[in-house]
Amino acid sequence: MTELAQALVGGILIGGLYVAISMGFSLSFGVLDVVDLAVGMWVVLGAFAAIVASDALKVDAFLLLPVVFVVFGVVGWLIAPLIYRVRTSKYALPALMGLAFTFGLATLIRGGLLTAFGYNPRTVHTDFFSGNIELFGITAPAIRVAGFGFAVVVTGLFLAFLFYTRTGLAIRATAQSKENAGLMGIDVKRISSLVYAIYTGITAIAGAMLGAIYAMTPEVGLRYTLFAFFVVVLAGLGSVVGVMAAGLFLGVLQSLVTTYVGADYTLLVVFGVLFVALLLFPQGISRRGLA
Amino acid sequence: MTVLAVDDLHRSFGGIRAVDGVTFGVEQAEIVGIIGPNGSGKSTLFNLLTGALKPDGGSISLFGQNVTRLAPYKIARTGLSRTFQIPALFVNMTVRENLWTAAVQFDWDNARANADAVLERLELTHVADDLASTLSGGQQRLLEMGRVLMQKPKVALLDEVAAGVHPRLRQIMLDAIRTLRDAGTTFLIIEHDMELAQDICDRIIVMDAGKIVAQGSFEEISHDPHVMEAYLGVSADE
Amino acid sequence: MSRPASGGNPYLNLGVLALVVAALCLLPMMTTPYYIRVATGIALWAGIALSWNVICGYAGYISFGHVAFFGIGAYTTAILMQPNRGWNFWATLPVAAVIAGAVAALVGWPALRLKGAYFAIATWALAEAVREFTTVVDFTGGSGGLKTPIRLDDNFFFYTMLGAAAIAYAMCYLLLERSRFGFQVKAVRDNESAARAQGINTTLVKIEAFVLSAMIPAVLGGINAYWITFINPASVLNTIITDQLVVMVLVGGLGHAWGPALGATAMFLLQEQLRVSYGETTAYIIVVGLLVMAIVLFLPDGLVSLGQRARRMRLVRQLLGRVRDDVAPRRTENQTEEAIQ
Repeated sequence: MTELAQALVGGILIGGLYVAISMGFSLSFGVLDVVDLAVGMWVVLGAFAAIVASDALKVDAFLLLPVVFVVFGVVGWLIAPLIYRVRTSKYALPALMGLAFTFGLATLIRGGLLTAFGYNPRTVHTDFFSGNIELFGITAPAIRVAGFGFAVVVTGLFLAFLFYTRTGLAIRATAQSKENAGLMGIDVKRISSLVYAIYTGITAIAGAMLGAIYAMTPEVGLRYTLFAFFVVVLAGLGSVVGVMAAGLFLGVLQSLVTTYVGADYTLLVVFGVLFVALLLFPQGISRRGLA
Repeated sequence: MTVLAVDDLHRSFGGIRAVDGVTFGVEQAEIVGIIGPNGSGKSTLFNLLTGALKPDGGSISLFGQNVTRLAPYKIARTGLSRTFQIPALFVNMTVRENLWTAAVQFDWDNARANADAVLERLELTHVADDLASTLSGGQQRLLEMGRVLMQKPKVALLDEVAAGVHPRLRQIMLDAIRTLRDAGTTFLIIEHDMELAQDICDRIIVMDAGKIVAQGSFEEISHDPHVMEAYLGVSADE
Repeated sequence: MSRPASGGNPYLNLGVLALVVAALCLLPMMTTPYYIRVATGIALWAGIALSWNVICGYAGYISFGHVAFFGIGAYTTAILMQPNRGWNFWATLPVAAVIAGAVAALVGWPALRLKGAYFAIATWALAEAVREFTTVVDFTGGSGGLKTPIRLDDNFFFYTMLGAAAIAYAMCYLLLERSRFGFQVKAVRDNESAARAQGINTTLVKIEAFVLSAMIPAVLGGINAYWITFINPASVLNTIITDQLVVMVLVGGLGHAWGPALGATAMFLLQEQLRVSYGETTAYIIVVGLLVMAIVLFLPDGLVSLGQRARRMRLVRQLLGRVRDDVAPRRTENQTEEAIQ
């Protein structure tokens, strides 16, 4: 019984980070109209960036998180106009081209990481949060608890920004209807860049935290892309509560599979659950995004 | 013969009752117009009839067959054709190919000849091999009409088919509608243009806030107090 | 004849194909085995790229999992040709096609009802799932892989690969450019709601296209397995195959009958050159990624568009500015959708 409780708790703790990533991913889709197939690569890239920076600067990785956020925010800010341009193109098939573009981006990042770091797994080292925490008979590694706490803070700030600020309102309006938002004087292009930048920043630092818990290689990017996708499909676009529930569910699912079946089967199980979910809800869990 | 029968149709979006208990029938070779203020539920009604939306309640019959839960493509195959408010064209195909595609499930063997005839009637022959996306707005609407002609439908739902179209092109469309009607096609037409409605429709249905508020000839409904209230905000008692 | 068809003159198109194939048949007499092998590789990739063009360029659904079908084909042939089963090589190919087609139908049935992005990820996940599957299961030889009977005959494989690719091209040309099915597929791609309103069973059409696009790489995968004698998950189910596929078709021209062949030739030669000059490096992946992004940004219709009317070429348009004022902009999918709602 304790093993089950252990697995559940561990899963929820990890799920927090999945929630943080999926929130940004979902919003990015809502505003830019493109599923960013590079989401998993941002996760991995964030982790590797933290590793490299902390090695080079001899500073604990955890202290460098704000820097990682800013750096990747800037990178996202620079890339977003390209995505916007592809998506609003008058030629070819914009949606498909958008996917191809982010696929190219994901491939580029993967190639870059493979060339720079090879196939070997790396973890993010931090001296904070070592050891375990005991609560109600459940033992959890402190780093996981920290990761969860971190995810809570980041997601909380993100949501506060979205729902309590003027810019946040503009973002939400744009996500609902770009045309109307434009008619109300909102600079849709700039909002798109802002959203993408925030999303890449958040995803990168979430990746850094994940990198402290799990080993990262350039090849696991696809896994995190699939995870983010899993959460968003189950949650339904535009549903904050849905993303939270689905993200935690994913964490729990992963944890249960690892404990009782074997980590190698995680992807298969996730894919299986996703497949079944899509079978059961063919008309779409949410109105947007599913035909 | 009643070609289309709608019984107590309901559809809501969130808290809004877009179609709220609509019942009516359409006879063979009738041209029935549907008018009403924006948001009265006209387009939603069309979407329900074509199967693009599923109703929350009520039923729809085509030629006596209950089609309420049928998939859109099956409803189309029973002989129901529609145009869209924003022309739904195949943007990567030429005008001619657009017309051919309309015949894919119908008279494929004669599609080429039929398309040529349609192109000529709608005076689109000179742009036949241009991409559909390069047409002007009015031409795109003509092409929409062209697709309906290719399908040789039994029932045609036209959604503001002549909106913003040059008067001369409009005349072409109206002639096409009349010709089809004489051959037996039944029409249900959403219109904002009162002149057009008066010109071509045998009967008018007036909708407001999801309900039918009046039915009858143009003269009858234009003096109907409910209609005046819906359109002009004039109270029915005044 | 009143039945519609487009895609140019069939005699011209098929005639050119026949000529090219005939010319290529003379290759073994003119050059060294090394170049024969390069040509075999080009034929292989031209064929796979074609299949991807079917589901992506013609049906409008981007698939990042096509390598799965290639791998399924490779493994089917390899497994059936194992000493304890000893199937005839030619007999394994239809089996490979059928299995791949069945998988495509099974996965496609729910996945193709969704929008492009969801399908893309679903196929990507499929490829990963197939790869994991072959790694953990016994009869596929696990990560150790399988050997096929040795046949050191460059010419045999060249002709077989060329023949398979040529048949695939001819078949796809006829099915997609000159038949009713092709119109249905393109209609579904361009405007699915309009297609439905015209009585087309869009889900079925999509599944058919997907199955077709799955069978081709399966057959080619089978031939490939026999050719390279040894297969394992890393060689026939590698993500780099998908990356390569995407860039080949994009470079050549999406949705165009001969685009894939053009792109495959160009990219394969590039890859060979890089391999010869720099060895097997992951830097090639960077090149692929950059190329995909660049093509999407600057030449979305690929190399074939360079030969077409300038009106369709994005870059030229940008330079010349808008030439016609009355050109109506293309409707994005969102706008057409909003029209339905």
